[in-house]
Amino acid sequence: MKGIVSVGRWGKILLAGGLVVTVLGVSVVFTTAQTGKAPEAPKAQMPGKASPEDLAAGKAIYFRKCVWCHGPEGAGDGPAADRLWPRPRNFTQGTFKIRHTASGELPLLDDLFLTVTNGLPGSAMPSWEGILSDKQRHQVVEFVRTELVKDRDFTDKENETFTPISFGKQVATSKESIERGREVYMNKGKCVECHGPDARGDGNATQKDEWGFPIRPADLHKCWNFRGNRRDPYNPTNIFREVSTGLNGTPMPSFAEALSSDQRWDVANFVISLCPKKNIDPLTTKPNNDFVIKATFVKGELPTSPDDAVWKDVSAAYVGLGSQIMHKPRNFVRLVDDVWVRSLYNDKQVMYLLEWDDRTKSLGTPEAVAQTADFKETPPAGEPIAMRQYPVFNDAVAIQFPSHWETLSAPEKPRFVFGDAKNSVDVWKWEADGSTKLYTGQGFDKLEVRAGDSVKTPFVGFKDGVWRVMFTRTLTTDDKEHDVQFTTGKYIPTSFFVWDGNNGDHGLKMSISTWYYTILLPPVPKKAYIYPVFAAIFVIGLQFWMVSKFKKGSKK
Amino acid sequence: MGKIWIPGMMPIELLLILATTFFVFVGVGWLLKTQNRSIPKFGQAILIWLTAFVILKFVLYPPIPSALMKTYMGLITLVLFLLVSADEESWTDFKRPILKTLAGETPGYRGVRTITLVALPLLAGMGTYNNIVPKFEEPIELRTVHPAPPAAVKVHDLKGGDKTFTLQTAQNPFRVDEDGQYSRDVQQKHVNDNPFDPNASKYMQYVREGGAIFFQNCHFCHGDNLDGRGMFAFAFNPIPANFSDPGTIAQLQETFVFWRVSKGGPGLPREGFPWASAMPPWEQHLTTDEMWKAILFEYWHTGFYPRTWD
Repeated sequence: MKGIVSVGRWGKILLAGGLVVTVLGVSVVFTTAQTGKAPEAPKAQMPGKASPEDLAAGKAIYFRKCVWCHGPEGAGDGPAADRLWPRPRNFTQGTFKIRHTASGELPLLDDLFLTVTNGLPGSAMPSWEGILSDKQRHQVVEFVRTELVKDRDFTDKENETFTPISFGKQVATSKESIERGREVYMNKGKCVECHGPDARGDGNATQKDEWGFPIRPADLHKCWNFRGNRRDPYNPTNIFREVSTGLNGTPMPSFAEALSSDQRWDVANFVISLCPKKNIDPLTTKPNNDFVIKATFVKGELPTSPDDAVWKDVSAAYVGLGSQIMHKPRNFVRLVDDVWVRSLYNDKQVMYLLEWDDRTKSLGTPEAVAQTADFKETPPAGEPIAMRQYPVFNDAVAIQFPSHWETLSAPEKPRFVFGDAKNSVDVWKWEADGSTKLYTGQGFDKLEVRAGDSVKTPFVGFKDGVWRVMFTRTLTTDDKEHDVQFTTGKYIPTSFFVWDGNNGDHGLKMSISTWYYTILLPPVPKKAYIYPVFAAIFVIGLQFWMVSKFKKGSKK
Repeated sequence: MGKIWIPGMMPIELLLILATTFFVFVGVGWLLKTQNRSIPKFGQAILIWLTAFVILKFVLYPPIPSALMKTYMGLITLVLFLLVSADEESWTDFKRPILKTLAGETPGYRGVRTITLVALPLLAGMGTYNNIVPKFEEPIELRTVHPAPPAAVKVHDLKGGDKTFTLQTAQNPFRVDEDGQYSRDVQQKHVNDNPFDPNASKYMQYVREGGAIFFQNCHFCHGDNLDGRGMFAFAFNPIPANFSDPGTIAQLQETFVFWRVSKGGPGLPREGFPWASAMPPWEQHLTTDEMWKAILFEYWHTGFYPRTWD
């Protein structure tokens, strides 16, 4: 009997705990986007005419929020358009990329609603959820499809059809499915032709969209940049949908006929498997930056290749890159938007391995260098940046440190792009022509090369759309005035720059990071192994004392 | 992953969660009471402690620093002890399962005792190790978001020459009515107007021009909805200012904003972290008129009104 009663009590506690967990679960779901929802075929039907109230309300929203990019006529030519690439959508023809409908068809209203809701990651189109209510987003969609889509009519029964894709039966991801997906990617699907052998979007860099603007195949290693990812980048359903429908207005065709639904699921699983698993910042839909670059201590020699086994134990820090739009020539389009950084050190040297995706290996020509003077000014506002022609310059990468971080009182640093008059920076720059140079920076226009060969690049390589560059230097040098000096266990401010020569990047036209920190991880102190043992022994002693005391007490 | 975070909603969301949890606790207690039962004090304490931990650790977004987490959990532990030891009866009730476990009254309690005796030293060891082993998180650097402005600011005008603006007295030259007179009410009057209307008022024409300037220069960082979520925002630290938040331009005089726009990051005093700001001194890229128009647009678009001196 006694046993039953005590079980009952625990049962109650369990019940109460379960209730709390349920409530918590509900609130977590409340704050969590649609993850892992089983895909269901959307209901496709021709929409009716929009109501006059919705059109009026939608128009007001459009002319406050949308017109600046999409333009007063919806032709994708608002004031912002010329400085954007990818350019804002031109609604006139009714050509929409992200849909549930067959290739060439108009999208469902739900598709447009979801695009407004989630935005198009990797472009300037933000998520409007939380800014516009559900109703407002519906209204603006009604306005756009009725008033701004001019060449087609969503209610035209004779000419328009809405054929939803079928999701078939989802193939769960597995090693086998991913392998089958890779096989389809490389052969039957011919995905490799545009997206490249390692799927970095480097297969064909000369494509154009329906409007004649250049367009690049997606880099499939960056799922957070997929336009149609619906802020749920690791969900293969979005890939399945895009492979099935194709992207209207772009060279991406529909594979609904060419591949079975199982094969499309395999491809989707394969594509998702390429994307590094990172925490995605809900504000920006990008991975969270890893602001501390932890350099691991290595006994003996540092590796000479990025394929060395020692790197496997070092996690790569994600460093997001923005455009240098602060100083002329302002760079409105940067094609390298992140770099992965790993670091090692031994008792003599520090080493960095930088890896970033670049669709083309670019080597500058003397003719290009001769033209640099023509690109000193910011591109004018009224000229489509997407069409701007640049000569090819060297791909390049640089690491920057404050020259004297140890004398600055935290949190002060030099300005994060090339320092300032008060605090100078030490910049190590490698260019694709094979040169590794040292610079001292005291401002945007005051970056000066200095003599010295203390920084080496023991490995550089470009393969299938990835640059990998290794930098090393001795921990300390004799030139204490210019060279950064490394000390174990200290936060050393570090930032990164990347140039894509094929995008005309050179000089101040580049991708930039903010300040990060390098820390040479000190060895784990011995006390970290000794003290826990003492703590455990102490607790054991305490327990025995308590139990024995209690037993004595209860005997009395 | 995939959490939706609506700026400014965090306190409300947290309050909602706390309120729900509170009422569930009270509700369950009441339900049990109607059946003449209750959760033992010890169970209650553990439950509340775990719930608080789960909310702080996994539900709250953005995550709070570990030091703050420790402080909160310490406080909660303290309060729970105060609660259970409030009177003799509740203290006895609280102690009962502990004493029973120590005594090992039934096989069940003996099992729990063995598990506890093994687990506690292990936990103590792990905790000590975790405390001693150095962690290398990003150092916390606190920045002043709205530093004190100067009395006057000398701004280079791209059209030529320098202009000095006294922040106390300067006015946005484009916040004007149809007669070109400075008007405090003009924004209110046109708050719902269409800036692209061919018959737009003078003020709305300036708003349109300011919008074009904003969208050719500023939205890359400050975002299409002026909420600091522009396409390059993720790369910068601090992240760009969110004008749609009531804590930024809504709290500032228009001239303060003009000072910040014209001088950018490098014009910040030390406490504003001039070295980290990606904000350029816009006097290098825009005329003073263009800067005033962009500011005019920012207020119109967000629906906030600049703070006035009186």
